[in-house]
Amino acid sequence: MYAWLWRRLPGRTPARAGVLTLIILAAAATLWFFVFPWASIHLPIDTSGFGG
Amino acid sequence: MDGVVRQVIRAAGEILLTVGVIGLLFIGYLVWGTGLRAASAQRALTNELNQQWRQAPARGDAIDASPEQFNVATGQPFAFIRIPAFGRQWRFPLIQGTALAQLDVSPGHVPGTQWPGQLGNFAVAGHRVTAGNPFWSLPSMRDGDLVYIETRLNDYTYRVTGKKWVAPTDTGVLDPVPGHPRQRPARRLITLITCDPAWTGTHRVIVTGVLVAAKPR
Repeated sequence: MYAWLWRRLPGRTPARAGVLTLIILAAAATLWFFVFPWASIHLPIDTSGFGG
Repeated sequence: MDGVVRQVIRAAGEILLTVGVIGLLFIGYLVWGTGLRAASAQRALTNELNQQWRQAPARGDAIDASPEQFNVATGQPFAFIRIPAFGRQWRFPLIQGTALAQLDVSPGHVPGTQWPGQLGNFAVAGHRVTAGNPFWSLPSMRDGDLVYIETRLNDYTYRVTGKKWVAPTDTGVLDPVPGHPRQRPARRLITLITCDPAWTGTHRVIVTGVLVAAKPR
């Protein structure tokens, strides 16, 4: 999976590493700002409210 | 054939590793990310309250002379809660509502229960963990600890009188006279609610207190 991605990236090693870093950062940001806030509401973690 | 098996095993390993890293990141989000988000929302709420109260300054009425009226939309702030037993800096804005959308911001007033200073039961729920861990120490509160509620007109002081563990479905603790849905209240109570054990939704810690003072601000 990652080997395949690495082969698909353009340029030589430094350029590939840079693009890969950007991809990883973008994925992490998407998780942190969009996926995790959504998930934390829909998972049964600390549902301190009442009657639910 | 051997090559295919190797590839499948490698892909499975990479997927598992990725899921693990995402899981760790999610734990990091719950522990720190939610706190940062809540802290910035709480700063905005604090500013909003301070601004509202400056525009409409307190009249200085005593509680018995003119009971305070509250008309607060869901998610809007109406008071501060201060519990010195949790630390000198411990102070959170209180908002209306206790759905996760509100609890993720700040402790909230349970809709349908009474308001600060009123006869009956003023119920407040807050997260034990995440969103700044507001009620982390609730299970260790002791009888005699004080809870201060600062509203636009008054400073209310409640003294803790008891603590118990109940099921999330035991909504009798929210009654004006807790556990007696049809009795008319004669006392002014506060009920603080959070999760126990931490991180779960299986039980609730209930701390109750009684109003001992109400001073105009």
